[in-house]
Amino acid sequence: MAIISFEHVGKRYGGRFEAVADLNFSIERGEMVFLTGHSGAGKSSVLKLLTCLERPSRGKVVVGGRDLNTLRNSQIPFYRRQIGVVFQDHQLLFDRTVFDNVALPLLIQGIPPQDAARRVRAALDKVGLLYREKALPIELSGGEQQRVGIARAVVNKPALLLADEPTGNLDPQLSADIMRLFEDFNRIGTTVLLASHDLALIARLRHRILRLRQGRLIADEEGA
Amino acid sequence: MTQSDKNSAGKSAAQQKSASQPTVAGQKRKRGANTSKLSLDARYESWLRHHRQVAVDSAERLIRHPVASILTMLAIAIALVLPAMLWLGLGSVRALDYDLDSSARVTVYMESGASAKQVSELADEIRNEQSVGSVKVITADEGLHEFQQALGVNDATSLLDANPLPATLLVTPKEREPGAVDALSRQLGELNGVDEARVDLEWLERLHDIGVLGQRLTLGLAVLFGLGVLLVVGNTIRLAVENRRKEIEVVTLIGATHAFVRRPFLYSGAWYGLGGGVLAVALLTLGRGWLSSPISALAQSYGSDYVMPALGFSGSLLLLICSILLGLLGAWIAVGRHLADIRAR
Repeated sequence: MAIISFEHVGKRYGGRFEAVADLNFSIERGEMVFLTGHSGAGKSSVLKLLTCLERPSRGKVVVGGRDLNTLRNSQIPFYRRQIGVVFQDHQLLFDRTVFDNVALPLLIQGIPPQDAARRVRAALDKVGLLYREKALPIELSGGEQQRVGIARAVVNKPALLLADEPTGNLDPQLSADIMRLFEDFNRIGTTVLLASHDLALIARLRHRILRLRQGRLIADEEGA
Repeated sequence: MTQSDKNSAGKSAAQQKSASQPTVAGQKRKRGANTSKLSLDARYESWLRHHRQVAVDSAERLIRHPVASILTMLAIAIALVLPAMLWLGLGSVRALDYDLDSSARVTVYMESGASAKQVSELADEIRNEQSVGSVKVITADEGLHEFQQALGVNDATSLLDANPLPATLLVTPKEREPGAVDALSRQLGELNGVDEARVDLEWLERLHDIGVLGQRLTLGLAVLFGLGVLLVVGNTIRLAVENRRKEIEVVTLIGATHAFVRRPFLYSGAWYGLGGGVLAVALLTLGRGWLSSPISALAQSYGSDYVMPALGFSGSLLLLICSILLGLLGAWIAVGRHLADIRAR
């Protein structure tokens, strides 16, 4: 069963500009999929639709069997808690330690502190930053900051992990490391949808690729 | 913790539960430490824990910028002091008014020569009237005695053949509204055996008008200055929201509810209100200490034992509660407006 499906989805801004037009695709549970295209091709819009930052102008987006159009505004926070999101600029809070940043989703959900601490350390361990838990994000390198962002996205063990240009600001070596991290999560069953314009890198990784141009799907290439 | 708080906690937990129905997985999630599902009790626990954390955290944020916080609280305090002073003043006017209770009293003069029995029968009859609070009987002899005392002579009767004073009934009405007193006075004047009923309506009306004016003035100023407090708190919270914009955006993206985002700012507003209220009580207490001795001296020179009214415990408590509520309300309005703004981006 598909975990994500876009059915004739369109998104217009301001009545004229069409960010996404008649988009149709679906992603199966456990897949790892790249979403690519030039900037303005609609990658960000797809992720915004998936995180309910935007509502489609036409069609429907179904995640985990639930049509997102049927989510009430008050339900959106609870929906978001079930997906992990990694942002290009990692969106860490610089006045809190690495530990507190990763613990944020658990704090929001009201997980008891001891339980939360255990999960935070497990997530930090997975991204190899357990020893930096007391550091402030500013003391970390760009690659390390992004790994903290990933730890925060997976601390809640989401079934679906979304990433928006997670390697956007990193050099090739670090980008490859980050990609390997996503593959690790994918290997244990997490569905990963990753937007990236780093064509060379994603071509090497041999996963399914969805190519967008001007808001339309122009290619859906199966991975090896 | 009040019962209603508990109820709303239970309710919000229940809402969260029902709202969390849509699962991405669409599959049955395992129970236990691995999942994010929590029992109702655990939710209530975590709700309480978060409130405690946020209360402490927002207090610490205020303490980290002591000068700015004190200035905000002082602005709130000053806005509260004026209406509170007027309110106290109104209380003392009411107390004065109470001393002048006689102004609302209807004096009923009996026809002269009425017997003691007739007087007491009439007094009973008037007592049974619905609009009458109390009746005091002054017999002709008592009246003469008072008269002599007031004149400072011992033996006025020696100059007169008989006591010229009629028996008098002092009737205090229940309602002190001028129209009602006037009606009662007319009604009493027409009773059998009554010569005349009198009331100083003009004075009563004046007092009544002063009372109404004072009340409206106090209310008007209280509303105006309450609005001032809202603006002060609202503006301060607006800046706080702006400063934490990034944090708000991030927690919203990872699933924070509106209540979660709003909570720290509401606590800040409540702390500002509490601080402002405490300062206002302090200012009023100091001000009273400063003014009370010259005012008592002045009052004494007029032969009055007027004492400046104090806030007292219940007054202070009321002021604090109002101040906290105004802080909360100001924060609520500011946060609501600016969160909508942030989300729109």
